[in-house]
Amino acid sequence: MAQQDDFAPTVALADAPAPVQTLDIRFTGSGSEYFRIWIVNLLLTLVTFTLYAPFARARRIAYFQNNTLVGGDPLGFHADPKKMFRGYMLVLLLGVGYWAVSNFLPGLAWIALLVFMALWPALWRASLQFRLRNTSWRGVRLSFAGDLKGAYLSMLPFFLPALAFVLFLPEVTEGEDMAPEVARRGAIVMGSVVLVFTALVPWLMARIKRYQHGGYVFAQQRTQLNTGAGRFYGLFLKTGGVSLVVALVGAALIALVLFVLARGMFVDMAAGQKRALVALVVPVALGVIYLLIPLVSTPYFGARFQNLLWNGTRSEKIRFDSALRFRSLFRVTLVNWLLIVVTLGLYWPFAKVRTARLKLEAMSLEVDGPVDDWLASAQQTGKGVLGDAAGDFFGMDMGL
Amino acid sequence: MNAPASLHSQWFDGQSPKPHAVSLRVDSGELLMRVEDETRRYPLARVRWPERRTHGQRQAELPDGSLIQHADAAEWDAWAEVSGLQDSAVVGWMQSWRATLVALAGSVVFLAAAWLWGVPWLSQTLAHQVPDSLDRHVGQQSLQQLDRLFLRPSELPQKQQDELRQRFKSMVERAYPQGDAPHWELAFHASPVLGPNAFALPGGYMVMTDELVALLHDQPDALVGVLAHELGHVEHRDGLDMVVRASLISALVGVVLGDASGFLATVPATLATQAYSRDTERRADAHAARLMHAGGIPPSAMAVFFERMLSKSEEDAPRGDGDKDEGGGVSLPIAIGSHPDHLERIRFFREWEVDVER
Repeated sequence: MAQQDDFAPTVALADAPAPVQTLDIRFTGSGSEYFRIWIVNLLLTLVTFTLYAPFARARRIAYFQNNTLVGGDPLGFHADPKKMFRGYMLVLLLGVGYWAVSNFLPGLAWIALLVFMALWPALWRASLQFRLRNTSWRGVRLSFAGDLKGAYLSMLPFFLPALAFVLFLPEVTEGEDMAPEVARRGAIVMGSVVLVFTALVPWLMARIKRYQHGGYVFAQQRTQLNTGAGRFYGLFLKTGGVSLVVALVGAALIALVLFVLARGMFVDMAAGQKRALVALVVPVALGVIYLLIPLVSTPYFGARFQNLLWNGTRSEKIRFDSALRFRSLFRVTLVNWLLIVVTLGLYWPFAKVRTARLKLEAMSLEVDGPVDDWLASAQQTGKGVLGDAAGDFFGMDMGL
Repeated sequence: MNAPASLHSQWFDGQSPKPHAVSLRVDSGELLMRVEDETRRYPLARVRWPERRTHGQRQAELPDGSLIQHADAAEWDAWAEVSGLQDSAVVGWMQSWRATLVALAGSVVFLAAAWLWGVPWLSQTLAHQVPDSLDRHVGQQSLQQLDRLFLRPSELPQKQQDELRQRFKSMVERAYPQGDAPHWELAFHASPVLGPNAFALPGGYMVMTDELVALLHDQPDALVGVLAHELGHVEHRDGLDMVVRASLISALVGVVLGDASGFLATVPATLATQAYSRDTERRADAHAARLMHAGGIPPSAMAVFFERMLSKSEEDAPRGDGDKDEGGGVSLPIAIGSHPDHLERIRFFREWEVDVER
């Protein structure tokens, strides 16, 4: 009787706007446990000459997904490592072939590039399908609905500069002596290809992400990404600006140090010693700046990009929210780098867990109405070795 | 006899995200799952059981695609143990700190052995498996590339070139009385960028710069010694060897760090290449000393080369960074920064005696 009472209001409200429910994300993995998984996986992978790699990979993904709780329920990972092994062998073969051609027969590298171009988008899509099909939440498998044509349309432009070089450069290599005007023409073409491509990267990135985030499906809810290319341009410009500021500040600090040094000790130094000191300090200073820029710009871009992507991703009944702050990600990245260096790399698995926790717990989902009433669409069964191969080859880059 | 333990858990049918309460029991090789009034049976071997861990929930995947999910990991593990479900050995291993440390030690030993013996052996073997024609092809292509970037036509008189070539040739003929010397081709080039230098490419292509000939214009024996050093690289196929080694090391780093960032991955690879290239230089030096001795030239003649390089690098010390590997990976210039210390090499050639080697 009590049960019926509970049910009554729900039925009455069926036509009213469904109540919005917030599902937060928690990550329960631990660094020390992942450390043990990592070490044992590493040893097994080494002594089997990497044949164990797909099994290790399946275990690692399962660990991270099982510890990702969405609204209290973990994600499942169900891929069969034996299938991943088959795919791994295929990809290993392709990789070794590509390596051999590009190192020993560089003249044929353009064929390898063409084969690569023809395969890459299909492999990428297959890897997304594989990963999502093998991921579940509350027992319902996710899927990826992006079509093959879309994969090629969004991926192929990235190969254009390489193709332009390949098509253009043979003319130059044939000639024994490079005539100056040919060299200049080459430089101009190369320079303009690089410039145009750099200008297009944010737009291309927007296309790729719109394809990728427009294909995630859970129980008949297909997501889409509504973020315009303009905001990608904004983010890329800001990241460039941040890198520039870091470089300038770093250079200014180093110049200051040099200046102080010059006042203090240069006076009594022979010219040769001065030059030797400069020769020592300048590479060190450049090295510091070279390290400093990615240390700041990588977490900056990482945080903003995750927010940009996931705040713009939604389906009819699901909205994602991501509020990752640059400051937190910077702090974690800094500590991770330091500890990885101090521990000679042993901190690596702890760092991975910390970063995953920060990035995942910055996210949440809003869903309309009770999720319990949703139904999965008919399960796709189309599986092929390609999907398994690709699934093992690509890390799944969900912008997380 | 106690009744098989039962566990109250949660089950998802795979079609809807709605959870169902179930109770689980293991009995005579089967998992019995009671959903409302119905009992479903699954052979234990066909269920994909979760791996035991300290953290995270437990999920067991049933053959029909549905899923059991249990939030309380400790409770599940206790039930699994009472019901006689076994963990795999690897899972037990990962739960024990002591076993993990053993695995860590094992990995370190493996990596050290791979570094010291595995990679050099494998790269030598692979490099010597490459057919001559391919070796020559690779050498030609890198020579073309270097030609475009760093080399100018030689300004040495043809007579001087021929003399040096003849001198080297007669030494090689005396050092290889059976005529089993590796195929070699020597070219002279001016190169303001490379300065006094010489290098060998795959396929036996050897290049000596005009600048080096000028530096040792009064010491033809030292020039022949440098060429003997390069012939050592040719005989050991060090050019190809280096390509293979660099790739093997990056592969190893990739295995250890997984999806590590590109920057992290390049540091060990670069260090390794440097260390290995120092070894190959020592070996080429030893080869040169043997050749010179067999060809009737005292190996100590080589010392002059290092002495002059040393005094030259002191002259332009402030900008003396000859450390760049300009040749795109396959060339082995004789005087790059990864070469062993010059003083040590001077001593090596001065003190070389027949019975010290081999």
